Amino acid sequence: MPKWFTPVAFICAAMFAFSPLVIANADYESTMGLVQKIFYYHMPSAWMFLVAAMVCGVASIRYLVSGDLRHDRTALAAGELLVVFGLLTLVTGPLWARKAWGTFWIWDARTTSSLVSWMIGCAYLILRRYGGPGSEKLAAALALFGMANVPFIYISVNYWRTIHPATSVVPKLPFTMGLPLWYCVISFSLLFYLLLKMRVRLEEQRATLDSLYLSLDEQH
Amino acid sequence: MALVKRTVAMTLLLLACLTVPRAAVAQPAQGGSPKQTNEYVPISQLPPQDQLPAAPLLIAAYSFVLIVFFLYVVSLARRLSSVQRDVDRLGATLKPGSKP
Amino acid sequence: MIRVAWLILRKDLTVEVRSREIVYTTLFFAVSCVLVFAFALVREGRGPEDGAAGILWIAVMFAGNLALGRTFERERQSETLRALLLAPASRPAVYVGKLLGILVLLFGAELLLIPLVALLFQARLLVHPFWLIAIMATGTVGFAAVGTLFAAMLVRARSRDVLLPVLLYPITVPVIIAGVRGTATLLQPELDAGIIRFWLALLVTFDVVFVTLALWTFEVVMTD
Repeated sequence: MPKWFTPVAFICAAMFAFSPLVIANADYESTMGLVQKIFYYHMPSAWMFLVAAMVCGVASIRYLVSGDLRHDRTALAAGELLVVFGLLTLVTGPLWARKAWGTFWIWDARTTSSLVSWMIGCAYLILRRYGGPGSEKLAAALALFGMANVPFIYISVNYWRTIHPATSVVPKLPFTMGLPLWYCVISFSLLFYLLLKMRVRLEEQRATLDSLYLSLDEQH
Repeated sequence: MALVKRTVAMTLLLLACLTVPRAAVAQPAQGGSPKQTNEYVPISQLPPQDQLPAAPLLIAAYSFVLIVFFLYVVSLARRLSSVQRDVDRLGATLKPGSKP
Repeated sequence: MIRVAWLILRKDLTVEVRSREIVYTTLFFAVSCVLVFAFALVREGRGPEDGAAGILWIAVMFAGNLALGRTFERERQSETLRALLLAPASRPAVYVGKLLGILVLLFGAELLLIPLVALLFQARLLVHPFWLIAIMATGTVGFAAVGTLFAAMLVRARSRDVLLPVLLYPITVPVIIAGVRGTATLLQPELDAGIIRFWLALLVTFDVVFVTLALWTFEVVMTD
């Protein structure tokens, strides 16, 4: 792991430790009250979920085009993070919705699209784990199809149902709410990057291990 | 070693995180019915017994996030150190017996 | 390339006509599927409102899943897939040939299923035949395009039987949404052509995009 990893990890952990204080000092949102503060973790989770999906898709395409295994490792790492951040989004969202909308789950465009994309991510991981040898290319194809599918999923679900707030509230946020949000976004992004690096390192070490086993076999 | 130290440090800090929200959320939970805005679906005509205190939901959400992060980091660290051990072990076995 | 695709299609059909294994099993499974839905959902002699569209599409997708698995299982057992890939035929042509074979099978299943569902669930599916054919055709092509690619890719994978639906269903969610909503619109007393055109446009776009992607990916993935 590179030298800067440990100090940056400490910074990230500290940012997370202080985030509740930063969030508590944000303005109280009058319509939804206390439960709106889930937003400060829900929104960055959702963004990291999308970032992970894009990283996975792009890395998969690069792997399919070039055959370079480094892209495959990045795709796998991003795929795992996609599932993790997706899980966070899909749990914090309903917890917020229970108070804000009165029900845990609503079949509207954004929630359903996220659920379907998350399931494609889970399918990706299942394929990589249980597909046996040679499943890297298959998984890359799946990731590519998943990425291409995003507009279709969104449009079809959108015309099927829509309740989620139509426009993005982020640009209109007052400063006292914007600050904690961006603080959390930075924390989450940092964490995402650190986890990605760590996970890619794991795959690299596994590849090294495999080649070491091979040279061990060759000697005997 | 740095990895283990990092994991321990993150664990301690995350445990601190789990206790801080309880202090920060000292404000009373919002008990009144939410006013309707045209941005959100109104929960109009909610009977009083349906108005939930928000604090448990908030704490559940934050705790869930932190616990998931913690579990993932621990799982990653364990996998990484186990593979690292195997790599080191194999590297040591191969070095003395390696042929040119 | 079209000649090659046609040859592959003819080969598959010839093999199938001799044994008829896949045809019979797929059709029977589709019918049993519809029956299960009938027993589950019909109350006091009437099915759920608008349930027919959903049931039809679910039956098609489940049957299609089985058919895809069986078709490529047969290829795997006879090692013919490797032979096909070694032959001096372009990969996209092989893909198109297999796709056409699956489509023939699924269209046959739909020919049986549509009257059956219309009958069992008192759904007036056949009132607008041309729209129905358009929606069913485009939806089936979308499903089969993705399915053929994944089934071919999974031929040499472990756990291939369970992995196919795991991979296929999330990716074909737009197809099922558009197909079911489009078909359900046909069941309304007054036809709203605008809505049907929208779903049809979505399905056609999906087909174009994913057949193209599949053609490119088939080349890359089957080469190793």
